[in-house]
This record gives sequence, C-alpha cells and structure tokens, in this order.
Amino acid sequence: MIDLIDVSKSYTAKGVKKQVIDRLTFSFPRDRNVAILGPNGAGKSTLMRLIAGTELPDEGRVLRHGRVSWPLGFAGGFNGSMTGVENIRFVARIYGQDTGSVIDYVREFSELGKSLALPVKTYSNGMKARLAFGLSMAIDFDCYLIDEITAVGDENFRRKSKSVFSEKLPHARICMISHAMNQIREYCHCGLLLSSEGAWYFDDVNDLIRAYESSNKARQAAPPAPASS
Amino acid sequence: MQAALSTQIRVISALVLRETRATFGTSQIGYLWAIIVPAAGTMLLVLLFSAAGRHPPFGASLALFFATGLLTLEFFNKLSDSLMTVFEANRALMTYPLLKGPDFLFARAILIGATYVLIMGLFFSTLIALDLAGPPAHPTELMEAFGITFLLGFGFGATNAVIVSLLDSWRHVERILTRPLIFLSGVFYVPSVLPSSAREWIAWNPVLHTVEWVRNGYYVNYDSRVLDKSYVVGLALCLVFTGLAGERLTRSRRN
Repeated sequence: MIDLIDVSKSYTAKGVKKQVIDRLTFSFPRDRNVAILGPNGAGKSTLMRLIAGTELPDEGRVLRHGRVSWPLGFAGGFNGSMTGVENIRFVARIYGQDTGSVIDYVREFSELGKSLALPVKTYSNGMKARLAFGLSMAIDFDCYLIDEITAVGDENFRRKSKSVFSEKLPHARICMISHAMNQIREYCHCGLLLSSEGAWYFDDVNDLIRAYESSNKARQAAPPAPASS
Repeated sequence: MQAALSTQIRVISALVLRETRATFGTSQIGYLWAIIVPAAGTMLLVLLFSAAGRHPPFGASLALFFATGLLTLEFFNKLSDSLMTVFEANRALMTYPLLKGPDFLFARAILIGATYVLIMGLFFSTLIALDLAGPPAHPTELMEAFGITFLLGFGFGATNAVIVSLLDSWRHVERILTRPLIFLSGVFYVPSVLPSSAREWIAWNPVLHTVEWVRNGYYVNYDSRVLDKSYVVGLALCLVFTGLAGERLTRSRRN
C-alpha cells in the first residue's frame, strides 16, 4: 500500500540539525492495519506527515498505491475566508468525487446545519474538526491516517463517528499513532516501534505493545541524562 | 499516463475555481471590477493625452496605440506579480498531496490569462464599435503576441516565485527592478524611431518586444525595426524552464 524507500528527514532549528528519520526503508503490508508507537520526539508524527505527503523527505522516496487520507480530523487545509460548503466543494473536486453528494453527506454527518454557509474562520475548533472528520469520511480513501484519535463533539457525535468509521474498515486500511493501547489493540494488526536508535517492525500487535512497554520501563529506570551533554 | 493527466486537469480546474472565488469575492461585481480597472485606466490616459493635444505616435487612434502598449504591459505585470506570491498563498493546501507547486502556478496563470483575453477583447471591440480603430490586420500574429506575453509573464513570475520562497526580500527588489518598464516598453512612443544607440539598449527589454509584436499584429504596416521574435521566445522558454525546474528542485524546502 505504501512504500518508504531510503527515506531521511531532518529539521534545523536555531542552527541545530536534528535527524528525525534516518534512511528508513519499509513496505506497509497490504491488508493489514499498522500502528506507529514510540516515545515523544521519536518522529511518529513526522513519519505520518511523510506518509500523507504533506511533507516531503530530504532524501528517498515515498510511494503510495491508492488514496491516502490526510491525518484524520486535521483542519489545517481549510481556507478561512471561504465558507464550509466552498471548502467541501473544492476538496470533493480535487479528489474527483461528486460535489453534490459529498456536500449532502458532510451536511448530514457534521451537524453543522446553517453554519456551512458561513466562512470557516467563524467556526469553533470543534466545528472545524467535525467538518474535517466528516469530509474525510465522505471521500473514499484506501488508507486512513490517524494521529491520536481525539474526541470530537459530544457523546452522540462520537458514537456516530465510530460507527461510520467501522463501516469503512472492511474496505480501507489504517495507519495509526496512539498512546492508548486499547485503541491500538482494537484497530491494528501489526506495527512499527520508533525510537532514537531506529525503527523495529513487529508482525504481531501484542509483541509490539510488549516491546513498547518494556522500552518505556527501561527509559524510566535509566537516570536522566545530564543537561550539559 | 492518461489517469495522471485527467487528475492534473481536474486538480487545476478545481484550483482555478477556488482562485476565482478568492480573488474576486462572492459577487459578480468583483469580477466586473477586474475587467473595468485596466480598461478605465487606459481610457483615462487617452483622455488626458487628447486634452493635452497629443497626436498618436502611430496610426490615427491614440486610444489604440496606448492600449496595445499599456494592456500588454499590464498583462505581463499582473502575471508576474500574482505568480510571485503563489506559494505562500497556497501554503495551507499542502494538506492535499494531490496538489503540487506547478498546479498552483498553472491555475493562477490560466485565470489571469482568461481575464486578460476578456479585457483586451472587450476593449478593442469597444474601440472598433466606436469607430476609433479598425479590426486587427493580422489576427494570427496578434494571438501569437498574446501567447508569448503569457509565456514570458508566466516564466518571469514562476522564476520569481521560486526566488522569493528562498529569499523573502526578493519581492521588494523585483518591484524596484520592474518599475521602469512603463518607460522602457514603448508604451508611449514608437521604438523604431529612436536613435539607434538608444534602440540597442532598450532592445534588451523583453516586454518591449511583446508590445512591438502586438502592434505588428494589429496595424497593417507597423513594421517594427526592434522586434526580434527569436530573442523574446527564447528568453520566455528559458524563464519557464528555470521557474519549473527551480520549483521542483526547491520543493522539499518549502514544506
């Protein structure tokens, strides 16, 4: 579904270069849902943005076979001065879907009602997230990227989101970052464990979680590194 | 291959519609203004010069002479100005990896190109209807001239967009450098009658050649002595290449 070939990514902040991903080669298995685990700063979200294509690698290539979503619920792609409907129409157009049915679906799903005719900059964060989530459900992606499922909306909306998402599961793959192990167990079959030393692949999700938890314990047991080094 | 092409067309047409909405607002009046402003500006200049008793430097119509120069220059300026800021304007759209740098450039250029086809078409038709000018003598050459102005403005704008994305201050330098174009592009005079020493210098300005090309196409016997078609076509193609290649090579720095 997704192939990473010799991918490297680094960021430079205040003259200090930080190598986040160093020559990673990995093929995501077809027909399996993949978890990405690791401590904070190990490069999970960077890896996800590289997979989504919202960032480009410094070196190497990312090949996507099929449609990969933007990280779910991410509302950064909206134009604030355009209305909700105009934003939906634009995204539906670039993905080649029928604009009318996508608008109807999102209107029904997001429960935004008349607000859809207002500029997106007038929306609250919750409204934006509902719009973004509804839109990603309206478009048929082959792979959904999830960077921490954040609860959007009230209990009722959450229940609805979960059931719609479950309907997608038989036809679409998932790639997920989460710190909640019950979610990882619920959705994923296998996964990558990232750390500053490198990346490891586990074919079984239970092995993955065990390795993640023991690496967490090891880090907690180790004395904190001196600040001067 | 065919799938890639249809995606490209779909994406660019979606962007053109979005740009139209973002540039001209929700009302039709917004688009009307975009057409009225350049036309009215040209008309105002014609009225001022007529009131001052100025004779047309070539042909019988002051309005036609100024319009061929001014509208061509404005078309070039508009393209290069708008394309220069295209990457920062579309930063949020990096969320959708289907969209790539060239799509933003093409979409904006198509919108401006279509707007200027309309502006020039309406302006020249009005002149013809008011009997202030005849129809163009060589329509094909006029269309070539329009096409090459488009290409030159696109190449210049795309190249500047890449430079601005690397060096933000360049936008100010570009504004300074292009300021003298109004005097150097033969808008108010016939470059062929300049002394040859001045002509040699001014002939380096590619926009002058596009203005001359437009007049060669419109008038029966303009016979420009300055126009060098291979120079302006070559330069335009070089700039288009530089802009697109530069965009590709610097793409990972921009996001």
